[in-house]
Amino acid sequence: MATPPSLLDETVADGEPLARFLLSSSHFNSRSVKASAFLPNPTDQESSVFRHGGEPREGLWEIAKQEVAGERTVHGAGIVIAVQVREVKLAVNSAEPPDRHAVITDWPWFPSDPDIQKARQKELALILASQAKLVMRY
Amino acid sequence: MFEPVSSSLGILWFGYATASAYARRDSAVSSEANALREAVAGVVVNAQRSEVLFGKTAAALSELYSIAAQCSQPDWDGAGALPVDLASLSFAADFIKLIPSSLPLPEVTCDPDGAISLDWMESKIRVFSVSVSPSGRLSFAWLDGSDRGHGVARFAGDQIPPRVLEGIRSIVGYGDATLAA
Repeated sequence: MATPPSLLDETVADGEPLARFLLSSSHFNSRSVKASAFLPNPTDQESSVFRHGGEPREGLWEIAKQEVAGERTVHGAGIVIAVQVREVKLAVNSAEPPDRHAVITDWPWFPSDPDIQKARQKELALILASQAKLVMRY
Repeated sequence: MFEPVSSSLGILWFGYATASAYARRDSAVSSEANALREAVAGVVVNAQRSEVLFGKTAAALSELYSIAAQCSQPDWDGAGALPVDLASLSFAADFIKLIPSSLPLPEVTCDPDGAISLDWMESKIRVFSVSVSPSGRLSFAWLDGSDRGHGVARFAGDQIPPRVLEGIRSIVGYGDATLAA
C-alpha cells in the first residue's frame, strides 16, 4: 500500500474522523453544522476535508490556517466519520498534498438537470450534517 | 408606520446597518462582487429615503444581506466556492417576504455554488432546506428522523409552491401531512 507524505495510509479507514472547516458563520448555528457546509465544490464536485479528529485542537486549527483559511477566519469544523460518508453512498479518498487532505466524492451528478442534482446533493448533505460533530474554535 | 421601500433588486427591505457597511467596502475581487456591492448600495440609498420595518421579516432580510455580504468573494469557504449570485439573492428575499406569519423564519446559508439556502432546523434530524437558484427554481430536501427526501419546484417570486410550504410546516410542527419524495 502506498503511503502519502503525511505517513497516513493511502486508504481512509472507515473509523477515521474527517474535518470540514467552517469559514462562513452561516454554516453552523449554536447547536450544529448545516448541510451547506458539506456540499461539494461546484467545479470539481468534491468536498475537501482533512483527516483529523479535532484533537489536539491546536493541530486542527494549524491545518486550517496553513491549508485552507490563510488570513480568513476559521470559525470551527464539522467532523464526520468516514463510514458515515460511505453509508450514504459517497466515497472518501486521500488526496495529498497537502498533508492529511482527503476528498468526499461521488456526489449525485446530473448535468442535464442541475436543480435535481442540487436537491439530491442537499439530501445527502443533510444526513452528513445531522451526524457531524461541531467543534468551535472560540 | 410601515412603508415599502423600492429597490433596483426588487427587494423591499433589509438590514440597514449591515448593508451600509457592505456598500462602503472599497475592495472587491470580482465583477460579481462589484455588482452585488453596487446593488446593495442602491438599496441603502432607498432605505435612507424611507425607513421601514416589520418585525421578524425585517430581521430575516437583514440576516440574508449580512450573509450575502460574507459570501460575496470567490472562494469564501476556502474550498473554491462561487460568490453569491444576485438573482438567487433577489429570489431568496422574495421567498422570505412570502413566508406566512404563522411559520418561523429560516436560517440563511450560502451554498458553494453561489445559491442561497433557507433552512428550518427543529433539531439535527428534523430539517427542511430550500436552495434558491438564480433561475428561481427551488431545490429542496428534508430530513425527518429516518424519513428523508428531496424535490424541485418552480418559484416565480409571487407564491411559495404549496409542496414546499407544506414541507416546511411538517418539519416545524404546524402541518399534518407526511412528506413524500
